[in-house]
This record gives sequence, structure tokens and C-alpha cells, in this order.
Amino acid sequence: MKHIRIKKGHDLRIAGRPEKIIKKAAAPRQLKVEPPNFSGIKPKLLVKEGESVKIGTPLFYDKLHPGIKFTSPGGGVITQIKFGERRRIEEIVIELSSAETAVEFGAQGSSALSPGDIKTTLLESGLWPVIRQRPFSRIADPEKEPKAIFISARPTAPFAPDIEFLLGENCEGFQAGLNILAKLTAGKVNLVIPENTAARCLAEAENVDLYSISGPHPAGNVGIQIHHIDPIRPGEFIWYVSVQDVMAIGNLFSKGQLPLEKVICVGGSSLSKHLYLKIRRGMLVKDILKDNTISGEARLISGDVLTGRKTGLENCLGFYDEILSVIPEGRERRLLGWMRPGWDVYSLTNAFFSRLRPRSDSILTTNRNGGVRAIVPFGNWESVLPMEILPTYLIKSILARDIDDMEKLGIYECDPEDFALCAFACTSKQEVSEIVKEGLEFIEAEG
Amino acid sequence: MRKFMQKLERHFTGDGKLQKYYAIYEMVDHFLYTGDEVTRRGPHVRDGIDLKRAMVLVVIALLPALLFGMFNVGYQQDATRSVSANFLVGLRYVIPIIVVSYAVGGFWEILFAIVRKHEVNEGFLVTGLLIPMIVPPTIPLWMVAVATSFGVVIGKEIFGGTGFNIFNPALVARAFLFFAYPGAISGDKVWTVVDGVSKATPLAVAAAKPAAASVTTAANSGIPFLDFFFQSLGLIKGIAAMFPDGVRQLVTAGYSWSNLFLGFVPGSIGETSTLAILIGALLLLITKIANWRIMAGGLAGMIIMSLVLNIVSFGSTNPMLSVTPQYHLVLGGYAFGLVFMATDPVSSAQTDRGRWLYGIFIGVLVVLIRCVNPAFPEGMMLAILLANAFAPLIDYSVLQRHIKRRQKRYVQ
Repeated sequence: MKHIRIKKGHDLRIAGRPEKIIKKAAAPRQLKVEPPNFSGIKPKLLVKEGESVKIGTPLFYDKLHPGIKFTSPGGGVITQIKFGERRRIEEIVIELSSAETAVEFGAQGSSALSPGDIKTTLLESGLWPVIRQRPFSRIADPEKEPKAIFISARPTAPFAPDIEFLLGENCEGFQAGLNILAKLTAGKVNLVIPENTAARCLAEAENVDLYSISGPHPAGNVGIQIHHIDPIRPGEFIWYVSVQDVMAIGNLFSKGQLPLEKVICVGGSSLSKHLYLKIRRGMLVKDILKDNTISGEARLISGDVLTGRKTGLENCLGFYDEILSVIPEGRERRLLGWMRPGWDVYSLTNAFFSRLRPRSDSILTTNRNGGVRAIVPFGNWESVLPMEILPTYLIKSILARDIDDMEKLGIYECDPEDFALCAFACTSKQEVSEIVKEGLEFIEAEG
Repeated sequence: MRKFMQKLERHFTGDGKLQKYYAIYEMVDHFLYTGDEVTRRGPHVRDGIDLKRAMVLVVIALLPALLFGMFNVGYQQDATRSVSANFLVGLRYVIPIIVVSYAVGGFWEILFAIVRKHEVNEGFLVTGLLIPMIVPPTIPLWMVAVATSFGVVIGKEIFGGTGFNIFNPALVARAFLFFAYPGAISGDKVWTVVDGVSKATPLAVAAAKPAAASVTTAANSGIPFLDFFFQSLGLIKGIAAMFPDGVRQLVTAGYSWSNLFLGFVPGSIGETSTLAILIGALLLLITKIANWRIMAGGLAGMIIMSLVLNIVSFGSTNPMLSVTPQYHLVLGGYAFGLVFMATDPVSSAQTDRGRWLYGIFIGVLVVLIRCVNPAFPEGMMLAILLANAFAPLIDYSVLQRHIKRRQKRYVQ
């Protein structure tokens, strides 16, 4: 097993880390599907308000790839379809019935399945969208075959679930999912696991190429792992799936029904309880936080504090998100902040006295901690980006919209989430990950 | 206080009468209190560092050299007075220069912020203090004002403000003075605040040519530093030639290494004490605001080049060729320039390998200019400005290597 040691990066010492207790959330009465969760699709509705649906009934499909369907995570009645500007579908509300029924996709052993059968079942069941591709982080194109599939079993983002703890001794679904993914590509399925893991499901996983990784965030990001194991050249693409979604794929084929649950981490200093929670897919944030109290003005983030999206109590947790973070909004103003010794300021630099007495659980707020300025290259970006990429020059080439330079500097290997720490560390408060996102979108639109 | 600022705010925002001058309000407001702006998207949390803090730290790093400089202005006038008396004399000369520099520079900074409708940039906190520290204490205040204007407007704002300038604005200001008013910034009369008394800077002493044939003419030339030198030349003759020439000239003139290192010598306000500068350097290195690669490169380049010149100095009449590295370190503006000006992250190279090359380039160049160029004994200003001009080229070559290496990775 090849080991990858990441040196650059940083694990946020943020308060409100989830304790290792898994609880089951109370059964919800309502679920939502929010098409804006999926970037790069053009949704076309297949249902109307008032229609009843089963678990796995298609709700809409992608006009750009008509094969990709998005199905209902619950059985009941569609009570509302909310549109935004220019009739963009914002959300589909499903009121659950007491006895939910499910569409049967047929339980099948993985050994007999052809890649074509697998694709069809995944697409019909609506589970296909869990497979995403790089570059661009879009839903995988079912017409093409990737050069490799990556699964990161060591997420390092703040509050991310500990996969070893999550899998426990139950390897069946996970291994079944790996077997199915292996059939989807002639290339390799690369499973990246923690160093010296005790989890049998990971260390003894079959049908995959195993790599182990150590080091601070963003070592767990699949983009960093791809970069170090099998970099994306122009024109190539790679698929990636989260561990829980691999299990979901395995369970879909062994049970014949769309899996309904996943475990998420609920954390953040604004919450009273920090824990692992087993929830229904599509569950609303207010239902997830039912037994939790939020103190003060807080920001709800679907995902981790570095890369997540701002969300609300009435929204559902993002389709891909496995973390719900709730942190205080930081609107407090402090007198003469620039000359305070800063014993309580969280910083990666040595510019504050807090460096001499680091806390293991700092309360981080959403305050930007300073005004936006022109880029002054102090080297903060470079210090947290463990890639053979020169971020200062890449960002400048993106701002200049110079596609030629962006390609030469390796933009295809980049993803906004890998640059989140650069944006965190930036002295000038530049939106570094947003700039990378704009660059990728620009290239996608032009090329 | 908070309420007072909130009351004022309505005049500057929306339909307020003073809406045009929002930049001023913003500057004062955020000077008093940290901002309440929250992130709009991920990352939702941000590091505590901002440009204000970074720039304030550079100012703090400058303080030891500045305080020593103030003392030294008085000390050069009358070495027999008490430390505090000397300091007060220095204060009287230095504070007006700082006030003028900040006022004029601040005016331009705010004007451009208002016209461009962006927030006032903290970069000027540093530039405004650097300028007073690299001029002689006798500089007329109007010259400070003109030079500051030139440095800020031509050196920075026409490129788009802090972050976009290719030259260090403070050095642009000094170069402007150097070429526009050479009488006020070079020669021997400008370094002490006593009328009619001239003291050569150590660099001038070391560089003075031992042209024995012209002693008489030179002694009557009316150029004070030459007179001074030729007087000292007579003394040197008796001393055994244990030291190389340049160093001997220094020591004979009373500029021992420890004196130079501690800074009890004439020179620009902030540049004389290498010790005080090193204290500032330590703070900049600990906080990583200055890049250590530039300083290390500058040191390496200087040592290598001066050793090379030491070797070729046999038989030469140029005493500067024989000045050893440890003296180059403490002479003139080398230490100050390397620590506070070469490390400006905006105008220096921006790749790690490039920073090494950039530093070495400065180190080599400063020795070359000092030793080989007969016109300017002080080479640091020009070395850094030249390196600023070459920094994009250095980065370009580093970038091309990076791209080639990336392409090789793809082949495998």
C-alpha cells in the first residue's frame, strides 16, 4: 500500500466537534428535494403538485443528460413545487404518508451484473447523481468511462465524520458498493484510507487499489488525493463517490430499494448538542435540529464551515453534505482591534499572542476579520495548499481570464474546496475558492 | 464612542451630504473598531489576520530602528550629552519629517480612495514611516512632501495602489530625492544637524580613493569629506597594513565594526543601527510578514560577491573592493534595505524560488554598485529598485520551470 504524507494544510481547532455517539433522528413528516443542490444541470419536472409518489419515483431529470433522473427520497404526496426567478425550480416538497411504498429495482448479486445493467439501475433509481466527476465537480456523465474512481475514507474537513467509527464492523454494503463501482471502469478504483487503520472494512477492502494518507486538512479532499495519486491531465476525468454513497450503492443492489438514510455530523459552537445523527435523505434542517437548541444569532451551514453553503431551517440538508455546522454570526465590533495583543484571535500566522497559548477548541465566528484588499502575496495561500500548484499565479491567470495560462498552471486539477483554506488564510480576504470556481466555470463555458 | 460613530455614519452613507467622503469615515471607523462584516459564502470562517494588523506589525518592527535613529541624530550633534537629551534633540528633527510624510502621503491615499471608491489601504502606514527613516535628518520638510507625493503617486497609485505597484514606493521617493536634490541627500553636510559641521558617512570614508598625488588640490577643494579623508590618510600611513584598505580607512576614521553595528555613526535616520534593525527583522521573520528567503538570499549574495571582490582587490587602488562581508553588513543602508524594503511582498518576487534569486540578486548588486561604481558609494537603494524591476522576469523564469515540471508529471 502506497502512503501519501501531506505536510501543508491545517486542521481547524474549532469548538463544537461532534461526539462519537450515533443517534437516530425522529422520523420526519416532510422531505424536500432542492435541484439547486446539483450544479451544472437543467432540471425538467416529471411530476405535478398533488401527485402521489413512491420512494424512488422520478421527480425530474436533467435536460442536458436525459438519462440522469432524480427520484423521490420518500413516499407520499407532493404538496408544493416552489419556483424562483425565471421559473427555476427551487424545491419540491414531499409530505410523507404513514405507510410509504417503494419502487422495486430488483435485488441482484453484483457478480452477474453487466456495466450496462448497473448504469441503468443506478440511473433509474436516482442514485446515479452520487457519482461525481472531476474536473468541474459535476454529476458523472453516464456516456463516458472515467480513467479512475476515487473514494476518500479519510475526510479531514472540520466536523467531518470519522469513517472508521462510522463503518464499524458492518462491511457488507460498503464492499458490495466497491464491487459495483469496479465494474464501471476499466481503470482503477482507488480507496484512500487513514494510516494504520484498525477498521477491517477499509484495510481489507477488495477489488480496489488501497492508498493511505496522513496529514492535516485538506489531505482528506479527493482533489488532493487525485493530485498525488493520478493527476488529471487536460481532457481526462475522474469519478468520485463518498463512502456512505458507496454503501448506498451496495445496498440498492442487495435490497432492491433506494436507501433512505445516512449518518451526518452535527456540530458547531452555537448548538447545545454535537453528535452523529442518522437522518433520512432529504430531511429538513429544522427536523435535524429538533432536539438541539441554537444559541444567539447563528449561521446554519449545510456542509463544513470551510466549503458548505448557507442554509435555513426550512431547507433540506444538501444532497452531498454529511455535515451540518452551526456557528455564531460575528457582528461584534472590537475597539482598536489592530493593536490588541490577540490572546483569543484564531490565526495561522504568528501575528497574535494566541500563538503562544493555542486553544484546542476555539469559537470561530463568521466575521470576516478585516477588509477586502488587493492581493498581497505574503505566502499564506502557499502554506496551506499541498499541491504542485502556484496559487498566486493561478488565481491571477483566472482573474485575467487567460485560459492558456490557467491550463498550464493546472486548473483541471483544482477544485474550489481545495482552495478553501487559502481563502481562510488570506490576509487580503480575497474569495480564493470562489475565484477558482469562476475560473472553472469560465473554462467549461468557453471550452 | 460607538454611538457617536453610528450617528456620524448617516452623513456618509445613502443620501448623506458627505457620501463622497465615505472612505474617510470608513477609515476612521475601522481604525477605532474592527469590522462587523460577515462572510457571504464559504469559507464561512476566516483567519484573524488582516492587512491592517500586518502593516501595524511592520510599523512595530520599525520602531527600534526609529527610536535609535532619533537618539542618534542628537548623538551625532553632541556625543557628550545624556541619552535622553540626545533623544529629545532627535525628536525635534525627526517628528516633523514623520508628520509631513504621513500627512502628505495620507492625503494622496485618501484622495485616490475617494476617487476610486475603495477603502483606504493600510500600505501607507508603512511607506509613510519608511520615507522619514531613509532620509538624512537635515532634509528640508518641503522636500519630504515632494518626495512623498512622488513616491505615493508615481511609485504606487498610478499602478492601481497597494498590491499593484512594481517598485517600493518609499524607495521611489528616496530615488527621486537622490536624483532631483542630490545636495540634500548626499555629500557630508547633511548627516548631522549641526550647521557647518560635516561628517562623512562610513561608506564615503571606505570608498574614498587614496589618490596621494592630488592631496593638495583635494584638500583645498572645499569638499569637506575629501579634506577629512586626506587628513586621516596621513594617519593611516603609519599603521601596519594588517587590514584591507577600505576597512583600514574605516577603523582609522573611528568607525569600528562594533560602532557601525550598534549605529553610533552618521547616516540616514533609521539605517545606522544594524542591531536595532535586526530586532525588527526578528519580529518580521517570526510573524512571517517578511519572507526569510529574500533576507537569506540577500545575505548570501552579499557575502559571496564581497569575498570575490576581496580576492580580486590585490593591486587595485579601489579601497571598496577590499571591504569584507561583515563590514558590508553594517555599512550604509544594506541592513535596513534588506530587512524592510527588499522584503516588501508586493514589489519583490512572488515565488519561493524567485525570492531566493531576487535576494541573491540584491546582495550581489549592492556590493557591485558600492565597489565598482565610482559615483554612488551607497548601492542598496539602486540594487533594490533594479531588483524590483527584474522581479517579474525572475518570476517568469521560475514559472516556466514550474510549467515544464508540471508537464513532465503528466507524462509518467
